[in-house]
Amino acid sequence: MREIHAGGKPLKKAYVAIFLWFTGRAIQAAAKVDKEVQKEFAALPDDFTFALGCLPNGPWMVVGKEKGKVKYFGGNLKCRPVHLRLVIKSLDAAFLILSFQESTALATTRNRLMTDGEVPYALSVIRILDIVEVYLLPKLIASLAVKRYPSWWSFSRKLAGRVGVYTRTLLGF
Amino acid sequence: MNLTNGFAFTCPFKTNSGNKALEHLPVELAGLNAFKPLIITSRELAGPKAIGTLINAFGDSGMTIGVFDDVTETADLNVVEQIREIFLKGQYDVIIALGGGIIVDVAKILNLAVSLKVADARQLSPATAIRDPLGPFVVIPTAAATGMETSKYAVLSGKIFTSVHLMPGLVVLDPRLTRAKDGKTVAEAGFAAFGRTLEAYIAPDKNPFMDAYAFTALRFIRENLASAVNKRCNKKESLAVANAVAMSGCVISNTDQNMLHRLGQVFQNTVHVHPGIIIGMCLHPFLDDCMKKDSSRIASLLLPLAGDDKYAAMPEAGRAGDALRDLCEFSYEIYRSLKGKIPRTITEAGIQQYLMKDIFDIINQEPDGAYLRTVIDRVGGSSIKA
Repeated sequence: MREIHAGGKPLKKAYVAIFLWFTGRAIQAAAKVDKEVQKEFAALPDDFTFALGCLPNGPWMVVGKEKGKVKYFGGNLKCRPVHLRLVIKSLDAAFLILSFQESTALATTRNRLMTDGEVPYALSVIRILDIVEVYLLPKLIASLAVKRYPSWWSFSRKLAGRVGVYTRTLLGF
Repeated sequence: MNLTNGFAFTCPFKTNSGNKALEHLPVELAGLNAFKPLIITSRELAGPKAIGTLINAFGDSGMTIGVFDDVTETADLNVVEQIREIFLKGQYDVIIALGGGIIVDVAKILNLAVSLKVADARQLSPATAIRDPLGPFVVIPTAAATGMETSKYAVLSGKIFTSVHLMPGLVVLDPRLTRAKDGKTVAEAGFAAFGRTLEAYIAPDKNPFMDAYAFTALRFIRENLASAVNKRCNKKESLAVANAVAMSGCVISNTDQNMLHRLGQVFQNTVHVHPGIIIGMCLHPFLDDCMKKDSSRIASLLLPLAGDDKYAAMPEAGRAGDALRDLCEFSYEIYRSLKGKIPRTITEAGIQQYLMKDIFDIINQEPDGAYLRTVIDRVGGSSIKA
């Protein structure tokens, strides 16, 4: 008989934390660059805040609207009231999703994701995340991450969007 | 199926199956309001790799996990009492059984002891009344599962405990744990599950839920067992067989038509032969007799065994014969792949004459003992008897 304290998974946790940090900033940037993202956020209530992260101990990404602008609020769930939580059941599941081994849709069917909040809002957020991933990732990887890659987007939209999103994400405005 | 007769079906457990299913355990345990698990397993029977995989799945949960990995094939109520004391002293709140057979039986009786708050687990007997649901209990079957892990039965030191409350609340099937070291283990588990679900599927009193479970389990085994035996590294096939084995436990808990199952249990309890071996060898004589009684029941087997297209293409009169032919091909394929590692007759199993006498004594006490003896005789029991 022995008693073991569950160890951590620091590398996976670091990867997920960095990914969520970058994606959070990219959502803030995409809300200024892309009209479709602006439209999705416009349909959400004022002060709407959502969080994406994994159980049991995070990391988390908190994004919301403040005075009509979309902002990334960091990784602290308690920084403001959260209207919608998209929860990944474990760090390993988060790693599978965020390393593009499983798309969001596939992870949902495999019972890895939970939604705490209104489903229509969750669908809006998923659509926003899909658009942001298309901007951030090359086509080959983005095709694995999203349900359907938007091949109907014009070349100029992709190029201008990518430049805008990356610049704003890296500079943080 | 006559629905106006009324029926009951109980399946109290949730199944989590698939890639990285183990990693969801901390969340699932939180759902059961449990935060300090005690893992019951065996280094010899489950293997250190499986134990390591399970402990690793708790990574980042911050939980403290107790591991009792000294369960042996000869475990009895003394072992349960020993673990009960550890459980109470360590203030654990959930039992996780990792493995199959005796490991899960010990865990079931332990759950009974701690939930009923008995002063000594050795006081427990099959006569103990189990009226209320027991504490949270999770089963993680490995390739060594027999199918009884998910059932309402627990057998320890020859005592058979029966209650739907003994069934687990959560079953986790992860492909990292369901791959067997050898094809024989998979074939034994597969045959045991196949026989149990087949009997339930052709039972005249089956209900729609039983039909769904038995149909799925039969099809899973028919489509995947041969590949799982031949290519043991194949995750998909071994997971499909593990799912069918888990379903068979639920099926056997809901049916009275369990002659093959009882036959297997008698041999397991008396001579420690895996029930899958006995069920596998008795399948053909049993189905021959069913065919003589009512061929329409055997005809219905063609759908799960041969698939939709073959069933639709075959005229009704030929379905029973085709189902039996398909079953013969299926079992022949398994036996051929294993090259004699699984005995096909009682003689090949090497059961001694004096032990056969004990077996017949037990079988004679069964309500349909005379018939069961004829089945045993036809698979080589008579030659030993002589």
